[in-house]
Amino acid sequence: MKMKPASKIYTAFIFLFLFAPIVILLIFSFNASKSLSVFSDPSLKWYRELFRDEETLRALQNTLVLAVTASILSTIMGTAAAVGIHRLRKKYLKAAYDTVTNIPMMNPDIITGISLMLMFVFVGRLFGLSTSLSFWTMLIAHITFCLPYVILQVLPKLQQMDPALPEAAMDLGCTPVRAFFRAEVPEILPGIITGLMMAFTLSLDDFVISYFTQGNGFQTLPIRIYNMTKKTVTPKMYALATIIFFVILALLLLTNLVDEDDSRRMKEARAQKRAARGKPPRRADSNKRSLAIVGAILGLTIVIIAAIGITRPKPVELNVYNWGEYISDGSEDTLDTIQAFEQWYLEEYGYPVKVNYETYASNEDMYAKLKSGAVSYDLVIPSDYMIARMAAEDMLVPLNYGNIPNYQYISDSFRGLYYDPDNLYTVPYTYGVIGVIYDANQVDEEDLGSWDLMWNEKYAGSILQFNNSRDAFGTAMYRAGADVNTTDHAVWDAALEALAQQHPLVKSYVMDEIYNMMESGEAAIAAYYAGDYFTMIDAESDNVDLQFYYPEPTNFFVDAMCIPKGCQHQELAEIFINYMLSEEPAVANAEYIYYASPNRLVYENEDYIDEMGEETMEILYRFTDDFSDLFNRYAYRNLDQETLTYINDLWETLKIS
Amino acid sequence: MKRRGDLAARWSLAPYSVWALLFILVPLVFVAYYAFTDTDMHFTFDNIRKFFTATSTVTGDNGETLQVRTYMVIFWRSVKLAVISTVVCLLMGYPIAYIIARATPKVQKTVITLIMIPMWMNFLIRTYAWMTILQDTGILNNFLASLHLGRMHIIGTESAVVIGMVYDYLPYMILPIYSIMAKLDLKLLEAAHDLGCNGISTLRRVVFPLSLPGVVSGVTMVLIPSISTFYISQKLGNGKFFLIGDAIEGQYVANNLHFAAAIAFILMVILLIAMALMKRYTDKSVAGGV
Repeated sequence: MKMKPASKIYTAFIFLFLFAPIVILLIFSFNASKSLSVFSDPSLKWYRELFRDEETLRALQNTLVLAVTASILSTIMGTAAAVGIHRLRKKYLKAAYDTVTNIPMMNPDIITGISLMLMFVFVGRLFGLSTSLSFWTMLIAHITFCLPYVILQVLPKLQQMDPALPEAAMDLGCTPVRAFFRAEVPEILPGIITGLMMAFTLSLDDFVISYFTQGNGFQTLPIRIYNMTKKTVTPKMYALATIIFFVILALLLLTNLVDEDDSRRMKEARAQKRAARGKPPRRADSNKRSLAIVGAILGLTIVIIAAIGITRPKPVELNVYNWGEYISDGSEDTLDTIQAFEQWYLEEYGYPVKVNYETYASNEDMYAKLKSGAVSYDLVIPSDYMIARMAAEDMLVPLNYGNIPNYQYISDSFRGLYYDPDNLYTVPYTYGVIGVIYDANQVDEEDLGSWDLMWNEKYAGSILQFNNSRDAFGTAMYRAGADVNTTDHAVWDAALEALAQQHPLVKSYVMDEIYNMMESGEAAIAAYYAGDYFTMIDAESDNVDLQFYYPEPTNFFVDAMCIPKGCQHQELAEIFINYMLSEEPAVANAEYIYYASPNRLVYENEDYIDEMGEETMEILYRFTDDFSDLFNRYAYRNLDQETLTYINDLWETLKIS
Repeated sequence: MKRRGDLAARWSLAPYSVWALLFILVPLVFVAYYAFTDTDMHFTFDNIRKFFTATSTVTGDNGETLQVRTYMVIFWRSVKLAVISTVVCLLMGYPIAYIIARATPKVQKTVITLIMIPMWMNFLIRTYAWMTILQDTGILNNFLASLHLGRMHIIGTESAVVIGMVYDYLPYMILPIYSIMAKLDLKLLEAAHDLGCNGISTLRRVVFPLSLPGVVSGVTMVLIPSISTFYISQKLGNGKFFLIGDAIEGQYVANNLHFAAAIAFILMVILLIAMALMKRYTDKSVAGGV
């Protein structure tokens, strides 16, 4: 049947809808700047960078390994289960299996994820394991949510099959197993293949369940992307998406070329002819074709896995857990500090070390993972208040500063800060100050200078606020001159009132989204971390003029390297810390992250000062000398769980108004 | 002979039985266990009570202050957006499934594969791209402005979240409906036509009832994920309002595992009841078909 014009238009509309964002990704993967809203110049650099980015390639490999393993195992187990369920005689048993099979489909991802996480963590604690989550827990989770899709694809095919078929085969002398493979499998193969493909697709794209069940040493692509939410999602990901798109498209075209005549009528005609000649009907054709497609996809996947896998595995492994996009990784001709460390270590000590570098999106995410005992890392880089909390809960190991001679270069302003008064646990990595970023083309000069700008009704709909409770409440509390660390509910209530009053003026509550919104002029006012302002300037659109000031008082923060309890290689972690403090990697990291460095080797380095420029140096390092006073006065402190829960409740209140 | 076959069948079911018990049923017990305990693992109703009774003071449309039940507001907004998304998916997906099912087999295969392609690209990235399209200074608005049609404020509204959900879950609606429709006997349609049905009444009285199993599984596969999503609402809703998924994730990140489990438990119970009712109202044959 031919398509009518109206049908054609409608189909085109649906495809426009489905493919619009993909076209956007495709276009912006060729953008020279980092922005996803302002196209500056065409460039292939993100593709080059993608292939140099070992961590992303490993995440891709992990994603594929997981998807292939989970889909194959769930297909085998699911097919066997379908056969078993089909042969059940008792009605109530059948109904019971039906219900159980439907549970993972009827339950939202988030419940499946949480329920498995709770169980794994509980079992891990029961057996006193240092880590309860790993590749295996993720694999179990993926198989579990793929199984029902396989079963529900295969079962109907079994029901459609002539029940006499296997019996006939057995009567003809086949063993039951042989009868199954010779007579039944060809009949139900289309269902098996569809089930396999569905399982593969679901596993590949799953984020929620992986988020709750991921362990260390195994991070998948969706999780890596999610963890980029404090900094910005790198365009390498758009490049990767574009490549995936074209690979699939090529496969599709290829299989269509191979298979020229496929119309149902021709097949029927052929079948009739065969029947007329007294031959059995042939159904292998379409099966063969589907098998070829599946084989091609699986084969290609395995080749990709193998190609990426050549670089692994190495004997000693150091597990590092850091914020997303928070280390110089070799992109845009920077130094890949992790790779440099691995090389340096090999030359220095004569045997190889492998750094497993994984990322988190927030202090709280990291804490939740570590606290549950689900993971174990050798090095983490939390912020001040979280360090205080972890120290108070005995989650940190005292450092052996003898292994970290470069600690001498850390400026005195950053020693003995409240979160580590006796310098036992930490080596500062970066520090910063929250300031207000505004678009000078949209904001009048007389309104500048204080926190009031973020409450100025003149700019309703152009103001961005933090999408994390601590920083958002912070803006309101600094503005009111309140203590950001109070346990007095009334003070927090007052801050909530201020935020609720601001809510109608706020365009968006943001983390990483701030970059695109400020760069494109979509928003005019935002509070964020000073260093990120410079990242935005680099990509700002022509009609946008981003400027910056520090309101008073404001937040001061330090992110520091520490070693959590349960680490496997303390000394190696200390050597890593020391290396990261040495001049070349420290400068590279500071230039990449754009945050201020507490390391004299960095902020006194001529090249670094040149690279940053006078204005940047002035803004970033304005508070270096009296930092410890300001920090101890205004920084966030660890709050007790009762207050934290109270703030979280208030935050929810804000989000329902 | 027969006995041996049965034995094989029983063995083939064994791995799945063990698996389902350990990784489907037992984890649900853990959700319940955490939902009804406090941090010291002592039994408590507090988490459940908090869900139903926690109140917030918000400012109403006319500036008056209102007392509302926090999680009821969040829950109903999630249900509302999920239902709207599901209905939109159905309205958009049903015709396209019908059109595809009536095309030539070759076109069918190509179109279905094309519909599945976006699902192979990470949904976080795709959602991210929608931000670029829907922003006030985004691609859609620049396009409208260039046609002198004015600008639309979409991003940060509930509509933006619905668009995101419809986009992400539309294939889950199209595929099951299509797979049922593709099996429909064309002779039935001809018969209906011969018996005097026009196009629309054929659709209403013959095609739709027969495709109902596909519709039911499509509705399920869209409704369930859209009720619990947390990424789409964060990105396209501009973080301005919470959905139930955001609340669960927020409690998890805030280290309130027990309350997170309580919300999950309540959501689960409500959904299971809803699905059981739905199953009762639709044909029994639905259960097997996706």
